[in-house]
Amino acid sequence: MPLPHGWIGTTSQWIQGFGIALALLNVILLLVVWFRLRATGAASSMWGWLLVAVGLVPIMVGFMAFAHGLESSATVSACGSCHVMTPFVNDLRDVKSETLAATHFKNRFILENQCYTCHSDYGLGGTISAKLAGLGHVWRYTTGRYEVPIKIAQPYSNLRCLSCHGESQRFLNAPGKKEMMPELIGGQTPCLSCHGPAHPEQKKEARL
Amino acid sequence: MSDPRRWARLLTVAIVLALVFNLMALVALIRATPIIFTLFMFVAQPLIVVALIILVGAVVAGLRARSMV
Repeated sequence: MPLPHGWIGTTSQWIQGFGIALALLNVILLLVVWFRLRATGAASSMWGWLLVAVGLVPIMVGFMAFAHGLESSATVSACGSCHVMTPFVNDLRDVKSETLAATHFKNRFILENQCYTCHSDYGLGGTISAKLAGLGHVWRYTTGRYEVPIKIAQPYSNLRCLSCHGESQRFLNAPGKKEMMPELIGGQTPCLSCHGPAHPEQKKEARL
Repeated sequence: MSDPRRWARLLTVAIVLALVFNLMALVALIRATPIIFTLFMFVAQPLIVVALIILVGAVVAGLRARSMV
């Protein structure tokens, strides 16, 4: 899609750009300080340079790399970077697929970070627990401690669906939905029991 | 620990650690896959903390040698 007039990029792209520029600058700065330290051998005359090169600029670089990494780890491509997720991401991008995830993706019911949006709870607590779970996924993936087909760790919470749909007039005016609300909120009736499957079945296969 | 040459060597180590940190940060900034980002968090960030500790130690030792602390 064409970008709006005056488009200057996203905050994430700016953080990435500044981060790369600062990291490159810091590498040059560190090499200059290293050679000067070797030439003079006196540390005290280099304190100012050292504080900037080893202290100040790396902290800024670290902040930007962390912010960018945190943002990037929520993208669909980040989830799809582990081969075990490939069938799910392929299904998501398949316009002919009728799974719930693909329907949300192809109609842009969720604008971006579709995996993360549906698989994390809302608020700061949801973000923290999703990131911690993500660390666990990376650990299990790199150490091979997982089984195919993979399964969701906990039953999918209806509250994740209701956070978007719960206030929607189309949802609230649909026959029977208002009456069902207590059951849906309590989780006695999973949304997926009528609106599934969320994803395609994953075949049992050998791990790569 | 007041030997300036020893601190100069330690500071060289701090510079190398900061260089490794920066290169890992560059990789994380250019291609932030979950594995690369995890490595950045758990390997690169502790390296820069160690480098900072060495730097602060060198500055404090230098000031002590001049009887300023």
